[in-house]
Amino acid sequence: MKDELKYLLNYISGRDVAGRYFATFPDDTFLVSFPRSGNTWTRFLIGNLVQPNEPITFLNVEKVIPDTAAVSKGYLKRIRRPRLLKSHQFFDSRYKKVMYIVRDPRDVVLSYYNWQRKYGEIEDDYPLAPYITRFISGDLPGLIGWGSWGEHVLSWLATRYNRPGFLLLRYEAMLAEPAGELKKVAEFMGIEATPESLATAVQRSSAENMRTMERSQSDRWIVTKGRRKDIPFVGEARRGSWHSLLPDSAVEQIESAWGPLMKTLGYDLTRCPSSALQPPFTQLGNWATWQTQPIRQPTI
Amino acid sequence: MSVIHKLAYGARHILALDIAGHNLVTYPDDTFLVSYPKSGNTWTRFLIANLLQNDRPLTLLDMERLIPFVDGQTRRFFKAMPRPRIIKDHGPFNPQYKNVIYIVRDPRDVIISAYNFLLKGAIIDETYPYMTFVDEFVRGVRSPVGSWGENVASWLATRGNSPRFLLLRYEDMLSETVYELEKVASFLGMRVTADHLTEAVNRSSADKMRRLEKMHGDDWTQNRHMKRKDIAFVRSATAGGWRSILPKSAVAEIESSWGPLMSQLGYELSV
Repeated sequence: MKDELKYLLNYISGRDVAGRYFATFPDDTFLVSFPRSGNTWTRFLIGNLVQPNEPITFLNVEKVIPDTAAVSKGYLKRIRRPRLLKSHQFFDSRYKKVMYIVRDPRDVVLSYYNWQRKYGEIEDDYPLAPYITRFISGDLPGLIGWGSWGEHVLSWLATRYNRPGFLLLRYEAMLAEPAGELKKVAEFMGIEATPESLATAVQRSSAENMRTMERSQSDRWIVTKGRRKDIPFVGEARRGSWHSLLPDSAVEQIESAWGPLMKTLGYDLTRCPSSALQPPFTQLGNWATWQTQPIRQPTI
Repeated sequence: MSVIHKLAYGARHILALDIAGHNLVTYPDDTFLVSYPKSGNTWTRFLIANLLQNDRPLTLLDMERLIPFVDGQTRRFFKAMPRPRIIKDHGPFNPQYKNVIYIVRDPRDVIISAYNFLLKGAIIDETYPYMTFVDEFVRGVRSPVGSWGENVASWLATRGNSPRFLLLRYEDMLSETVYELEKVASFLGMRVTADHLTEAVNRSSADKMRRLEKMHGDDWTQNRHMKRKDIAFVRSATAGGWRSILPKSAVAEIESSWGPLMSQLGYELSV
């Protein structure tokens, strides 16, 4: 009852978290992804491109590209249009302009595991094996509202891929060629970008810079305020960690759950060979470039 | 929304008398009967409700109580419902819906029914050009549940291979009603005899439903806010009407938007 009253007071004053059900405008642009897929990094990249005079930090990022899961309905109503908004929502038909970031689920699961430990959504010593099973079925605290990784990705690709107003980005391609991918974003958004401005944005948004900023700003960023610091928000910022960190059985489980989708997205299957998705959910373009880059193995 | 509206909503929310909608608390044993609007959802509800209540004749109001619309009843109503519940919705993919029966219908027929539905609500009148409507339909304008293609694809792509998902085609239901209803009953884990099924199908004929709509359609939530009483909710209940009604250019626009998806569902392309 107390929670209900709090919710209502916030609701009436417009201070309730925007979440899924806030008023959208047709000129909104959304940066969407499943959690832990490079969304915050992309926000920094875009922010640093559109706002060259004031480098993006954790303290101003919510002003430039607000997180719909963190800021209030009232705040979103007040900011200037056209808005650029971050979201982790599964398909929402009201989002007319969408950039969707996808990341190898074998890496996502490891990053999400650490994140859920950081936020106390699972116990610190929660074993990885049952975690993987629950991650796949989408039955984890917090995940219930987002859907499973496969559902999330497919809900967007099946409805919007190859349609106007949709740009698919791969986290792995962004790692390999950040400036090139950011250029695609700039073209999609209709903002100007020069090789210099792209390079500056990439440099300002480097994992190293973001880690330094997190250390000094995490107490004041709405997302990390009051959370444990021994697990940082900025993760490893690399691809392929799963090669050394994920047990074979877990890789097998993930590949058997989402093989066709992973294959379609260009993620090599190592344990459960599978064919790509059946039509009409196939033609997702040529992803080859980033795959030729060597995978940097994480140091444990 | 004004503060007064918000306060009124707040009062309703405390009493759980607000419309459930996206605030519905779901249970793992719920089954959702989902479709894009105008795809045979009401008929399917009527068929299932006739299996649930086979000891006395079913009215449209009984059906609305037995298989309520998520946007049509209060949170209190849903909380009081006996489980396992069957709930109707029109929304695109929702991860919280774990057991889903999804009805799909040829979009070339859906569009004719949707046009008629807007006429009934006096949102458009008979002078509204079909081509404008088709253009809006394809882009999902006016639809709070996505375009036809978005709605269908969002469910098929995420759940199409799940054992907890049953895909029904309205056209199959028309031609093999008993057989399709049996699939539904077995998906719902209901024990039904061949007599039950035949009886439910007979009681749910378009004629019977038309008669019921005439009798108490004005009291039915679905029709209450519809301005034009001269247009019926229960329509032709046929497949393929588009062939004689839809202009060729409209057919072409629909097929070029959703061709691969339509083919996958077995709807033959004409252009």
